[in-house]
Amino acid sequence: MRARTRTLTTGVLAAALVAAGCSPTTESGGGGDDKTKTQTGSVSYEPADNQGPAKAVDGAARGGTLTIMQNSDFEHLDPARNYVNVQQVTGGLLYRALNGYKEDGTGKLLLVGDLATDPGKDVNKDCKVWEFTLREGVKYEDGSPVTSKDVAYGIARSFASNLNEGPHYIQQWLYPGGAYNAKYQGPYDGGKPAPDGIETPDDRTIRFTFPEAHCDLPYAAALPTSAPVPAAKDTRANYDLRPFSSGPYKVKSYQRDVALELERNPNWDPKTDPIRNAYPDAIRITFGLEQAQIAERLVADAQADQAALSWTDVPPAVLPRTTAAGVVERVVKGPTQYTWVLNINTQRVTDLNVRKALNYAVDKDAALKAIGGQAAGSPATTLMSPTTAGWKKYDVFNAPVTGDKAKVTELLAGKRPKLVFAHSNTELRTQQAEAIRKNLTDMGFDIVMKPIESSSYYDEIGRKNNPYDLYISGWGSDWPTGSTVIPPVYDGREIVAEGNNNVSYLNEPSIGAEVDQVRNLPAAEQDAGWMALDEKIMREYVPVVPCYYDAAYELHGSKVGNAFLSDAFGIISLNGIYVKQ
Amino acid sequence: MFRFVLRRLVVAAVTLAVISLVTFGLFFAVPSSPAKVMCGKNCTTEDIAQVEQRLGIDQPLPRQYADFVKGVFVGRTYGSGDFRQDCPAPCLGYSFRNNQPVTEIITQRLPVTLSIVFGGAVLWLALGISLGMVSALRRGTVFDRAAIGITLAGASMQVYFFGLVLLYLLVYATGLLPFPSYTPLTENPARWAVGLLLPWMTLGFLNSALYARLSRAQMLETLSEDFVRTARAKGLSTRQVHTRHALRAAITPIVTIAGLDIGTSLGGTFITETIFGLQGLGKATVEAVQFLNLPVVMATVLLAAVFIVVANIVVDVLYAVIDPRVRLN
Repeated sequence: MRARTRTLTTGVLAAALVAAGCSPTTESGGGGDDKTKTQTGSVSYEPADNQGPAKAVDGAARGGTLTIMQNSDFEHLDPARNYVNVQQVTGGLLYRALNGYKEDGTGKLLLVGDLATDPGKDVNKDCKVWEFTLREGVKYEDGSPVTSKDVAYGIARSFASNLNEGPHYIQQWLYPGGAYNAKYQGPYDGGKPAPDGIETPDDRTIRFTFPEAHCDLPYAAALPTSAPVPAAKDTRANYDLRPFSSGPYKVKSYQRDVALELERNPNWDPKTDPIRNAYPDAIRITFGLEQAQIAERLVADAQADQAALSWTDVPPAVLPRTTAAGVVERVVKGPTQYTWVLNINTQRVTDLNVRKALNYAVDKDAALKAIGGQAAGSPATTLMSPTTAGWKKYDVFNAPVTGDKAKVTELLAGKRPKLVFAHSNTELRTQQAEAIRKNLTDMGFDIVMKPIESSSYYDEIGRKNNPYDLYISGWGSDWPTGSTVIPPVYDGREIVAEGNNNVSYLNEPSIGAEVDQVRNLPAAEQDAGWMALDEKIMREYVPVVPCYYDAAYELHGSKVGNAFLSDAFGIISLNGIYVKQ
Repeated sequence: MFRFVLRRLVVAAVTLAVISLVTFGLFFAVPSSPAKVMCGKNCTTEDIAQVEQRLGIDQPLPRQYADFVKGVFVGRTYGSGDFRQDCPAPCLGYSFRNNQPVTEIITQRLPVTLSIVFGGAVLWLALGISLGMVSALRRGTVFDRAAIGITLAGASMQVYFFGLVLLYLLVYATGLLPFPSYTPLTENPARWAVGLLLPWMTLGFLNSALYARLSRAQMLETLSEDFVRTARAKGLSTRQVHTRHALRAAITPIVTIAGLDIGTSLGGTFITETIFGLQGLGKATVEAVQFLNLPVVMATVLLAAVFIVVANIVVDVLYAVIDPRVRLN
């Protein structure tokens, strides 16, 4: 998915999207001594992992109010429209999808059943028919039971074009070929109550039948689209303001752009929930605070802010103060699922040697320094982020992070290519582009800068016939496998006239063929397949310069316990968090 | 007096109508489509067309303006079928980003700005005018020089500097005050006041500088006028001369400035609200501009105009009350 707002701008566009990741090298924030975590997780059918209640956190206590300070309000809380990580972590307190991620802060990330008793049964072992059984005793905030029909209804309503902002994997898989909602537009205005391919033989069973194989369904079923919505409680567009709760909390009050207050849902039974501890009694999310203001307050740790945290990264100006004793142990940092690359428009830059030369030329260190240095990320050499399952490091060019001028000169062979470099006109992106321009000019390129209004940046570079040669973009997976990175961004068959995600416009039939081949592998072997394809693309076609792996750098107050970076969402997890009493 | 106010109200209504027309026209000069911004990245051309229909911006401009005016008086409905949204009168538009009528947003945000401005205004007027008057009466003394020096510093400072200094000193470094927040006055008056103390102090100090200098100059000028000498000659006490005669005359231009200042501030104190993290009208406007949330922009621009127009009328009426030389007709 496209990069999240922080790195873009003030959140003008819904560009910030979620993802899930398993982290082999996540650094822990505790005491500043970064220990290496080992990724061991995947989809788990172990009964021990799938049974509630969630394992108690050592030293945790129930009670207190947790405050979350945010820059801007959520765009959507409606499960059908929820596609941004901060919204999904918040939504996860209010509603439960079929599956969910179980994490304990040690790097162990497991996909387990949430509403469902396990992550889904592949009925015919061909990934085409999937069946989920709902847990017994899961109740809504009014005490009524959650049924599989409500899950089907929740998915049905996500087909409505008025509620179209969420992920559309399951929808597209149910109706392959053409737009996901060309044939079915949801249960409204006379539409039928459930899409084709979804059956609910009884109140606790839901069955998906896809025309094609989709071995990734357990991951897709962890997205909020499969959260239950009772038809009688569907307030359509207004559902955004008050989703009907099936999770540990319910909405107490929501004043848009000001604050969202959550209180306990007394009908949530911890014994039915293997994922959430739900320690705080209440959660208050405050919006409209400036990024620097949030960081200053958390650094100061005044009494009123001690039970607070933020999902907003600490801005470069406040970073030096976060290394002081008393603050450093309250930093939570680590890689997210986003990789930022300098795209080379392969329709315009057709000379492979120029593309290779760019890989030797880019000073990744300078590109990072311009946006906050180590706190903002670490230099990248691969297309997928280290949080992806099966990720292993490779480096096709083995250039120093600051570039290798001798190699560039050799590859350019006396030419001085003239390239148009487009960038988003926000402050950080402009600083970064300027650093890269200077660096590439020194390395022997003629760079023409083209600033683009931030709100239309992704539209501009997403037009197939755009007049630019180089532009930076970020992408993160929707779940921790390569299947939501390589196909959308590097498969030439996905290229359309506008709105492209494959913005290097690499169109190599051999890659398409390999994508199909990996997709048809058994689920267990796909991870290695995507990684091999990642390396092949960089070795043979060089459509981008991998620049850096995005990192989160967040702060919490001194009374917040068990705050760790969620490998699934790239921000502080709330499921096991507690307020020290 | 009645005819005067009536005439002013008619002029005000015309002014507001013109402003609403101009604002409406300006929206069409905006290069990017609000429908596209709202629709997000999953949108197809048909989706955008649908959003435009829902927002009512697929209609010709005169029709849209007519719908807007109609909404203000009788309310209107956006969209159709299961996804229609009602917006009761007075409907200033519907924000699909926030899922609420614009009037609701304004009624939520306005009390914040009102509290900031009125608290601040009380401080800056009391402090500024008294400092200025006393300085004028004690011209050339140490008090006068000190007051003028301090106010010069105040007048040359900016909210975003002074506010941050206060924040650092009183909140981050010492923790003497909590970070500003808004609690409705009706809910808890003490929390309301404590939460707004910092913005009041900031606005109070900075603006009082201007008022101190202004009232000092006005007072000095008035004191040298003939009617003051007459009053003294009549044998009135110094105190009576100063308060009943000089002050009343000197304060008229200050009322003009104060009226305009307060009127403008009510339209939104964006910088103050941002520095202190308060969700007032100013922030609502700027956020709306960022998200191209045009109904909100339109409504806040109109509201700001209403405040200025009303402030002007109030000032004119106050003239007659304060200054015996002014008669309204």
